Amino acid sequence: MSSCFLDEETFCQCCQLLLQHSHSLCDGWSWEQVKGSEGYLRKTALGTGRTRCILDQQGNSSDQHQERTFSLSFHNDEDDEDDGAVCCIQEESSSSSVVQYEYHILYSCSYQTPVLYFRASTLEGRSLCLEEVWDSVHPNYRQRLQHRPWDTITQQEHPLLGQSFFVLHPCRTEEFMMPVLKAALEEHRQVNYIVTWLSVVGPVVGLDVPLSYCTQVPEPPHTPSSSPQPPSSSPQPPSSSPQPPSSSPQPPSSSPQPPSSSPQPPSSSPQPPSSSPQPPALGTKPG
Amino acid sequence: MSANAESPTETQKDEPSTPQQPTEDSGTADEKKKIDVLLKAVGDTPIMKTKKWSVEKGRTVQSLSQFISRFLKMEANEQLFIYVNQSFSPSPDQEVGVLFECFGSDGKLVLHYCKSQAWG
Repeated sequence: MSSCFLDEETFCQCCQLLLQHSHSLCDGWSWEQVKGSEGYLRKTALGTGRTRCILDQQGNSSDQHQERTFSLSFHNDEDDEDDGAVCCIQEESSSSSVVQYEYHILYSCSYQTPVLYFRASTLEGRSLCLEEVWDSVHPNYRQRLQHRPWDTITQQEHPLLGQSFFVLHPCRTEEFMMPVLKAALEEHRQVNYIVTWLSVVGPVVGLDVPLSYCTQVPEPPHTPSSSPQPPSSSPQPPSSSPQPPSSSPQPPSSSPQPPSSSPQPPSSSPQPPSSSPQPPALGTKPG
Repeated sequence: MSANAESPTETQKDEPSTPQQPTEDSGTADEKKKIDVLLKAVGDTPIMKTKKWSVEKGRTVQSLSQFISRFLKMEANEQLFIYVNQSFSPSPDQEVGVLFECFGSDGKLVLHYCKSQAWG
């Protein structure tokens, strides 16, 4: 279905709309132009991740609070007549620490989808290795990743910068975008492809997408020639998209996001929809 | 496909915060601040026999996702995706109570779910 794919012009439009909302939130996204016509969205953020360090001979490391794990390394010994597996144990320690992430959203012509590239480093500037990145994936996605990590996140050359980045494989983007796009098609409304896609892939690698993106970023215009609509200060996107009965939703996160992947409590008490005629739902009385 | 009639609450007694089936009459006053969640399957994802659940407001999307995955007996290579408003996917750390207040309608939060082998 061609509607499950994204053309490059719509990609740019969706990115610009996302960018405008990001500016209003001071959320940190920027547009980087390369080679005149190609560009990508970029954002740096602090998050948490699991990093490793090798313990010294006394079994100490600079970090006091660590779990000690042992990694098994198998080496093939050519001289060995047996199966050739020699096992040595290297003592490492794995700890939860602050990680500096840099996220890039690029457009892939071959997949006709956006692709998330990212790199991660400790605050001291050491790049995380692939295994550390796998260990840092959100627990919600960890089982699937551990089942086939090489199918999920690997290192590749950044198509525009030529540097080594981690990439979240885009092969099956269509599968998780399909339910949203199909529903939108049936209801004759559009969605902002990038916002929807980012809401799915971002949390996998520690990139949180505040709820307001999902309510306040408009969809790109139908005709490619018209310019994107500027976001209005009120939470009313263009009338072409149907709204939930709560006509003035109060997204909880309107302030810049703290650099952690812990659950995001609302910064102010969320307001129940004020103008909807529905009877009070169970348990909605503010506490 | 969970075709059995066994209630999930019986199989998961070790979890105190398992979603419970609401009673049929929606007028049940609940002190614990729960919200009604309606789960709808997308595509050829198995349909849950019980679609309507009463969930504590503080419960995260991740916790609900794990519950659905176990209920559907999903394989290790499958990933569950949840959608709100059929337009975006909520963060796993998001609380369902907040989603309800932003996107609830007719006293319930409708969530669509889909299983897939993404990423790969």
